[in-house]
Amino acid sequence: MSDDQDLVRQTVREVLTAHPPVSLTAELTWDEGLWAELAAAGLTGVGLPEEAGGSGGEVADAVAVVGELARGAGAVPVGEQLLVAGPAVLAAGLQLPPPDEPLVAAVDGDLTAVPDGDGWLLSGTAVDVPWAGVALHLAVLAQGPDGPVLALVRAPAPAWTHANLAGEPRGSVAFDGLRAPAAPITVAAVADLRARAALLRAVQLAAALEQVLALTLRYAGEREQFGRPLGKFQAIQMYLAEMAGEVTAVTAVVDAAVQALEAGEPLVPAAATAKVRAGAAVEVVAALAHQVHGAIGFTQEHALHHLTRRCWAWRDEAGSELAWSATLGEHLVAGGADGFWPALTRVV
Amino acid sequence: MTHALTLAPAPRSDAAELVRAEVREFLAAEIAEGTFTPHVDTWLSGVDPAFSRKLGDRGWLGMTWPKEYGGHERTAMERYAVTEELLAAGAPVAAHWIADRQSGPALLRYGTEEHRQEILPRIAAGECFFVIGMSEPDSGSDLASIRTRATRDANGDFVVDGAKVWTSNAHHSHYAITLVRTGPPGDGPRGKHQGLTQLLVDLSLPGITINPIRILDGGHHFNEVVFDGVVVPAGMLLGEEGAGWHQVTAELAFERSGPERFLSTFPLLTELARRAAAGQDRAQLAAVGRLSARLLAIRQLSLRIAAALDRGELPDIPAALVKDIGTTFERDVIDEVRRVAEVTPSLSSPDPLGRALAEAQLHAPGYTLRGGTNEILRGIVARGLGLR
Repeated sequence: MSDDQDLVRQTVREVLTAHPPVSLTAELTWDEGLWAELAAAGLTGVGLPEEAGGSGGEVADAVAVVGELARGAGAVPVGEQLLVAGPAVLAAGLQLPPPDEPLVAAVDGDLTAVPDGDGWLLSGTAVDVPWAGVALHLAVLAQGPDGPVLALVRAPAPAWTHANLAGEPRGSVAFDGLRAPAAPITVAAVADLRARAALLRAVQLAAALEQVLALTLRYAGEREQFGRPLGKFQAIQMYLAEMAGEVTAVTAVVDAAVQALEAGEPLVPAAATAKVRAGAAVEVVAALAHQVHGAIGFTQEHALHHLTRRCWAWRDEAGSELAWSATLGEHLVAGGADGFWPALTRVV
Repeated sequence: MTHALTLAPAPRSDAAELVRAEVREFLAAEIAEGTFTPHVDTWLSGVDPAFSRKLGDRGWLGMTWPKEYGGHERTAMERYAVTEELLAAGAPVAAHWIADRQSGPALLRYGTEEHRQEILPRIAAGECFFVIGMSEPDSGSDLASIRTRATRDANGDFVVDGAKVWTSNAHHSHYAITLVRTGPPGDGPRGKHQGLTQLLVDLSLPGITINPIRILDGGHHFNEVVFDGVVVPAGMLLGEEGAGWHQVTAELAFERSGPERFLSTFPLLTELARRAAAGQDRAQLAAVGRLSARLLAIRQLSLRIAAALDRGELPDIPAALVKDIGTTFERDVIDEVRRVAEVTPSLSSPDPLGRALAEAQLHAPGYTLRGGTNEILRGIVARGLGLR
């Protein structure tokens, strides 16, 4: 971890001190005040080049911002903008919207784009759009006449929204011949876009799981029963050690996947690995965290749910654990059993 | 992370990738010639001294040791690449495994110049094998409670009485680094860590009896080594008299973090990959993916420890964590395979998946016991978290 990223983390943490986690509802779908403050500090453009209107910095800086916001359960689409939609828009040669206006990618659904004069006409419905109703701009993946196309639109009102397990809005957005700038992109770029979305969730999960462990360690040190702190009971120590094993493994493999992104190495297997591993850890870490916290951790008044509900939601988003596991498995056995181990050693 | 478990990411090593390619080429040729058939858990059960000598000839034993002792002065990352290639292929590496992994490094750290000159070149050549003389019939997890004693005779030599168990391949080995009690324990809860000493015991000495202990599948790898008035020359003291506990703890950082702590059942996973590739069954492909993601995470941690060893650190707490999650993974491979594939486990199965499953299952109880039970390891991790 470089000094740059330490500084970035510190800055985000300072912003977060004034913005504790909020419980999202149908009326309160994001933390607009937090977003405004992050945007004013240039943190919603980190890792996006200055000449395109971003704040500059490396991928690692953007990852640091995203991780810190996940740790603090910040209800803002910063990760979607910095790690997924922003880079996709730039890679497609489209004009990046101002970084203080939330931009997310819509990669699922049934959409078509047809060229029309100097623009494109976008039709169909995007589904599972993150922060639907919050994002002002959408980078929409559609099928063009000659292959995939990425279109950039001002977000219309969603046709339908629902909340994920943490209350974060997700939804469907319909288009009927909407005129928009767009650009053809390669099939490989589509795969990378999906992989970035998965890696984003893995980065968020890794940070949130670390924070769940930290909260649980703190609680086990403070809460006394039978005259001693919970952390002095051997059964609790075994739980915490198991949680630490999961969290440490996730951190290591997510770091390695981020390195693969920075180095421009094949992203699909690395992101699949990170997403599957991070998702699998949720099973153990969230369950044991709640077990150690007891009944207070089961309430809205305690902070734990801001993290555990996000972990339960994120592990099934941007491609399910089953889908990414199968993708990874297919990739690894593509060269038959003899190619399996060599393929494994090339993933991260 | 805010605790003692964090390690810096391992730097990429071009040298490691070069030697990895050489090992792969060597293994492919050996398999083609029929030198060995891949098996599960070969670092316990695959004894083949001729194969060990071949590795020695190629410079793949004692890789990190100084050249003056027959070593090759390569990095821990290069050694890591060699060992994981051998394990992934299910190659017969048991004969030299302990000597190369931990006994040689222990001699380098604590041995006399004479020990190093005489023994290390033979280990590096694949000609001298070691066993671990730690556990006893009444002392498993509570290692400091050992009762094997050594007293000094009139010449100052050690006279050893007692017994060691689970000594893997003692019947094929030359030396045992043996933990003995040479002095009384001290006071307090950690008092029994005092008065312990490591001796370098030649297994051909008079008074030593080696009795087989067969494991579940009937295989003879473990032994009971009985010491009955065995005279061990004074010069075979390893390190400092009374410092045995400290020395053993250092040895365990090497013992607990390597790729053998998550690759013991890898040949079974390869067979699942073969089945999944042939049938393109989605559940099997997903199982291969899920297990591989777990394996890759453990491997990243294990690599970080190898890099830390290169920096001269002794990351004993992260090593305990890696062994806990790694050996749990080795065991979990078995049931993941069963859930997604139609297979009948049998050691005599003509189906390689069925045979690998049988081998993995019958060796399974050992994975999470050997080298420190997972409960002991989690205790160490809990200490790293500040809970103890």
